[in-house]
Amino acid sequence: MATVNRDNVEEVKTDDGSPKIKPRPIVRLGIFLIAHSPIFSVVFSAAGVLALLLLPLLAKNTYISENALMPGSARSMLSNQDVSDGSKLVNDIKNCRLNHEGQGVEVQKLIGKYMSDMGAEVSYQKFHPEGNQFHPLHFFSGPDSYTLLENVSCASYGVNVAGIIRAPRGDGKESIVLVTPYDFINGGDYESLSLGIVSSLFSLLSRVTWLSKDIIWLVADSRYGDYRPVAAWLNEYHSPSFKVSELLKCDELNTADNFRRAGTMAAALVLKVDGRSERFEDTLSIYAEASNGQMPNLDLINVVNYLAVHRQGFYVKVEKVVSLLSSSWLKIFGEIFEAVGKLAHTLNPDWNFGIPAADYLEGSATLASSLYSQALGIPTGPHGAFRDYQVDAITLKVSPRFPPDSKTRQHDFFLRGARLLEGTIRSVNNLLEKFHQSFFLYMLTSPSKFISVGVYMIAFALLVAPLPMVAASLYIDGCKALTNSTHNSAGNFKSWKWLDAAKQVFALHLLGFIVTLLPYFICQVPGQHSPRNRSIMWGTTSSSLLLITFVTIPGCSLFSSRPHGTNWAVLKSVTIAAAFIGLCLMSIINFATAEIGALLLVPTCLMAQPIKPALRSRRVKSLLGAFCSLVLVTIGFPVIFFAISKGLLGEGLGGLSLGGEFWIWLESLWAWKSATYLYIGMVHLPCWLLCLCILFHPS
Amino acid sequence: MKEEKKDDGVMAEEKPYMFWIWTLASTIFRLFLIFSPENINLSSRPEVSTPHTSLRRLAEGYWLKQSSLSPYAGSMYHGSPLLLSILGPLTVQRIEGQSSHHLCSLVFVIADLLSALLLRAIGQKLQKSYRMNLRPLGVLRSSQDRGILPCGDIAALVYLWNPFTILSCVGLSTSPIENLAVIVSLYGAVTRRVPLAAFGLIMATHLSLYSAPLVFPLIFLLGYGLDAPPIKKFLQTRHGGVETGSTSDVSKQEKLTPTTQLPFSWRTVLHFVFWVLVWSSYVLVLCSLSLKQYGGLEEMFKRTYGFILRIEDLSPNIGVFWYFFAEAFEFSRNYLLIIFNLYILLTSIPSLMFRLKHRPCFLAFAYLAFTSILKSYPSVGDAALYLSLWALFVNELTDMEYSFFIFCGYIGFSLLSPVMHNFWIWRGTGNANFYFGNAMGYACFQVKSLKPWIYFRPH
Repeated sequence: MATVNRDNVEEVKTDDGSPKIKPRPIVRLGIFLIAHSPIFSVVFSAAGVLALLLLPLLAKNTYISENALMPGSARSMLSNQDVSDGSKLVNDIKNCRLNHEGQGVEVQKLIGKYMSDMGAEVSYQKFHPEGNQFHPLHFFSGPDSYTLLENVSCASYGVNVAGIIRAPRGDGKESIVLVTPYDFINGGDYESLSLGIVSSLFSLLSRVTWLSKDIIWLVADSRYGDYRPVAAWLNEYHSPSFKVSELLKCDELNTADNFRRAGTMAAALVLKVDGRSERFEDTLSIYAEASNGQMPNLDLINVVNYLAVHRQGFYVKVEKVVSLLSSSWLKIFGEIFEAVGKLAHTLNPDWNFGIPAADYLEGSATLASSLYSQALGIPTGPHGAFRDYQVDAITLKVSPRFPPDSKTRQHDFFLRGARLLEGTIRSVNNLLEKFHQSFFLYMLTSPSKFISVGVYMIAFALLVAPLPMVAASLYIDGCKALTNSTHNSAGNFKSWKWLDAAKQVFALHLLGFIVTLLPYFICQVPGQHSPRNRSIMWGTTSSSLLLITFVTIPGCSLFSSRPHGTNWAVLKSVTIAAAFIGLCLMSIINFATAEIGALLLVPTCLMAQPIKPALRSRRVKSLLGAFCSLVLVTIGFPVIFFAISKGLLGEGLGGLSLGGEFWIWLESLWAWKSATYLYIGMVHLPCWLLCLCILFHPS
Repeated sequence: MKEEKKDDGVMAEEKPYMFWIWTLASTIFRLFLIFSPENINLSSRPEVSTPHTSLRRLAEGYWLKQSSLSPYAGSMYHGSPLLLSILGPLTVQRIEGQSSHHLCSLVFVIADLLSALLLRAIGQKLQKSYRMNLRPLGVLRSSQDRGILPCGDIAALVYLWNPFTILSCVGLSTSPIENLAVIVSLYGAVTRRVPLAAFGLIMATHLSLYSAPLVFPLIFLLGYGLDAPPIKKFLQTRHGGVETGSTSDVSKQEKLTPTTQLPFSWRTVLHFVFWVLVWSSYVLVLCSLSLKQYGGLEEMFKRTYGFILRIEDLSPNIGVFWYFFAEAFEFSRNYLLIIFNLYILLTSIPSLMFRLKHRPCFLAFAYLAFTSILKSYPSVGDAALYLSLWALFVNELTDMEYSFFIFCGYIGFSLLSPVMHNFWIWRGTGNANFYFGNAMGYACFQVKSLKPWIYFRPH
């Protein structure tokens, strides 16, 4: 899309010089689009928003793409004996915790003993829960090797237990990972159920003959959160540190030299049990979003979904924004789409694109949640740690419908949970290669419906399509205006008039870059500071830097009275070009961020016009335009947008506490190496500042 | 890219001391990047260091040589043995408290500075000749008020501040030295220092085979003199002054066959050829001495030039060949190799040579730009060289259309490349097609932007 448009721009300019040659049709189309850019930009933007709203309609049913998976084709081999093994473990853990009052590593040892009784190789790993560290330049490299902290204390550390069953038909080069996060100190009754399920399965897998990939069961010590222990274990698995850690001496458990590995991981399943299901059936929630909007291969979700729905009778769901389910405007859209669909069906029975309004609501709520968690770039569970190593992983959160102490129901629950996992493992075990057949770039609208990249990119492309058109037409206008205004000395640099504007754009982008890196230095300021103080520090430094930029670089001055600065049309054209490049890059890195960013940035950039002439002219139309652009620019400021979105979620914030909240939010973004943070600092903020410059341009 | 444009604006204001300030600033910036604690690991980027220019490979080759093995053993090192002898010892020495390779980086910074100064000198010469040529043509009178841009300063600053140059300087690739050799040869030819020109050419060819056809621009430069409008134009103006119909003449003169040939100084060219022979035999002797125990010259040719021509390393880079040859069937490989290598030679040199005979410097630029697109292991360092040579012709190209589009394209593609690489290598959600798609887009874009530069008719 982008190149096509840019091509057109170029061709137009070439052919302007030599009108004799009849341009090619695509060039004529380009000229036509640029000549009528205001109309087309409105049309395209509206179409982009409409396409976004239409996405739930366009979702396709999922299907298992890789034939080798063959889910559910084998009979389950899980026996009651295995399940009672699992139940025994759960009871033992309960007793052990009562005896030891959450001290030491007794529970870990107990689990380790169970594992080795089943014939697995057991290893323990001690890890240190690290604080959030901001590495501004590590966004696009691979997973960090966590540097060992020099002053580790024994006050806080966790112990993971991992057991490996060697596959009778394997060569030890491939493995499947099962993770059960468990808080050894204050884990609830529900949490230990996940240990029971996996233990039942493990007991089965230690006997079966069909395994061709080793099975790793990792019990992650989740007292410092789910993610950290898994990430620490994965890091040790993939890049071992040869320095002797201080943690080894902390207790009697000797973990040196016994870390076990089992080759590349084909897939990973994280199992959690929490809370009671609100529905009649047991509920299975699937979480798939990893850092920066990366998703596991769709086939993995399909297999789990297929087995859970068709074999084990779980109610499967994915996360959705509940507040959207009751939103009236979305319901109206849903009804309109339903009516249109029905109408189309009456016209031609083959047109079956209409879906009921309720389905549409469900789909949009799920899609919104999917967009939101992808845009944040924060993984929705421990599976995110696997994605950093290119391992497909999902988190399965099971909510049983019974209270935790009901023994009879527990047996049935274990049986079904373990069978689900068994089936999934059996499918993955069939694979000869990595998951590659199905989609990596998709969004879910329900557990069995997805929108692939080819569809959702259309919405984005339509939304940003006006940018190159408007940039080209503004560029042509601006150059003409410049030639007229500075007639005598304009013979030179006919095509280099944009340099001044580019200088300004570059200066502000540089500023954005510095502002993005500032938190790194603010975090290094000695002493304890509250987030509020830090955000104040950040704000003051950034604004003083901005002032310095405005003073030193003459073209940038917001309120300068000099009439002959850069021409605002050229400045706007360069700004739009920069925004276009930034958005297109971001759409590849993280689509959801780019989509939400484009919804904010595209109207702002397109509407931005100097308000001085509008005020002078006193015409209603231009005053309205100026007012709109002012409102858009106000909303576009990241802090204000943050406040507004908080307010929509029902948490009113104001004044300085907003700064603190914003800081905490950003801290979470960079702790997860979210590219959204980079986008805000290096694309959104500079473009927003440039729009401000255009708005107050002294023309 | 942006910074270089920024400097254009600054330089247009004709402040001589600004040049030195910006030069100093660029040096400080480089040193800051080299010694900054945050390791961004540029040297492992495929855009920056290729198998042919990577300093890490050079260090490996040096290590092999120290252990009495052939430096070319194990297909690690493919560069020149002379470079190995010069840079090799520097790779193992450390400044205390710093990691290794810093001394090499300093060498690259110095090479960049030298290149910039030589470019400035070339530019000043070109500017002078441009002024001299415009006066008889009568163009200067109308353009006196705008002045002629100091193209030497602009080119030097474009070279120094181009992010591509900075990346290849900081990213531990030997391309700053290759670029220096090319610029030395051009400088020698422009200032008519024949031995220097020959030396530069031989060194450039020795370091990277693709510089060999530069011999044609250099011969033209020495034979015909500096870039000038075609001689028929001078004749035309002389007549046109009488006829006073300049616009109709322009179309007429296209059809005129040149009646007068440019004077070609065979003596200088023969002198040049002589020096080329001297230097090449000197370099060959040195190489054979340095590789005496390890297979001699034959091994060197096989492992350096053979490596370039046979495209043995198929690791991804910003060029287009690796993908083709990764996909090609084994039986058609030789055929494709011949086609691809001849394509570079036959499509670029003859056509450009006839077209740009009277503009040898521009011919050199066009050829370098062409090879940097189509060479087997291109890196951003090659793009840096031709972009700064391009800046030598700002006076001629000021009226060029759609510069803004080209500028945006360069930014877009150079930012897209690491993203696609990340997509493929780190995330695993993309595949080689993503990265190759970008490389192909970049190549097409370069060709598309090169075309108007070459076919643009200044005056």
